[in-house]
Amino acid sequence: MQMLRVGYAHPLEDLRDEMDRLWTTLTAAPPLHGWTRQTTSEPFPAVNIFETDEAILVEAELPGLEAADLEITAIDDELTLTGRRVETIEPAATADTTSEAVDEQPKKITWHRRERGVGNFERRLSLPTAVDPEGVEARLLGGVLTVTCPKAAACRPHKVAVTAN
Amino acid sequence: MIASPQTSLAPERRTPMTEADRGLTYRPNVDIADCGNELVLVADIPGSAADQIDVSFDDGILAIAATVPGRPRTGTPVRQEYGVGDYRRSFQIGEGFDGSQIAAAYRNGVLTVRIPRLAAVRPRTIPVAAG
Repeated sequence: MQMLRVGYAHPLEDLRDEMDRLWTTLTAAPPLHGWTRQTTSEPFPAVNIFETDEAILVEAELPGLEAADLEITAIDDELTLTGRRVETIEPAATADTTSEAVDEQPKKITWHRRERGVGNFERRLSLPTAVDPEGVEARLLGGVLTVTCPKAAACRPHKVAVTAN
Repeated sequence: MIASPQTSLAPERRTPMTEADRGLTYRPNVDIADCGNELVLVADIPGSAADQIDVSFDDGILAIAATVPGRPRTGTPVRQEYGVGDYRRSFQIGEGFDGSQIAAAYRNGVLTVRIPRLAAVRPRTIPVAAG
């Protein structure tokens, strides 16, 4: 979008760059946050965050990811989700159901719709309190990621015993 | 091959969940690819289960309906960027596909539906015999 140019560039070069960019976007898979949201740079993945007395719970929907595709790091009050979603429709995947005659065809995919998006993502989340990085647990089940971050001891509510005397 | 989808009841954007949003259905994002001998539809349906998803094909309409069980909520919401609800979407599939041979699989929150093309209309190369 915004490009800083140093020196002189022919206007037609801009046009050519723009055409290249357009062509790339038309032929490639959409970015993970989708075409329509690209301009608003909506973060991926979307998260829901809940807080209890003991922990911060972060939930994100990551359909199509294996646990190995995902990396989660926690430090202080920051949680980072990094990962990658790969293309799921492989031309090779269609080979098993077909007869030999079709197998000889070059496997060409014609896309009718591409809304899901593939690629790398990184999302840095600011949690409401500091958490204990050692105690963070993450679970990916059916495309839903749940990260349980126990609050750092200093941030937990302490019940103060009142002594009567 | 694919005509315009049926109008969806679901909002395009998945807005944060509030009490009033419960019972809303969402429209899953899909990829649809024509692989020559079959049509492959891939839909993002996180949080459901294989036995909670209905895939039906009737009169050229492929319909997907997935139930997403509510997730137990603990604590107070700090940030809510998406809502949780059932998924529904349907597509008009063109002629030449075998509705009786549809295979569907659910894995890691992704539904994959494969609709084979009828043998009669599959692309094929015809060898030319010499002589």
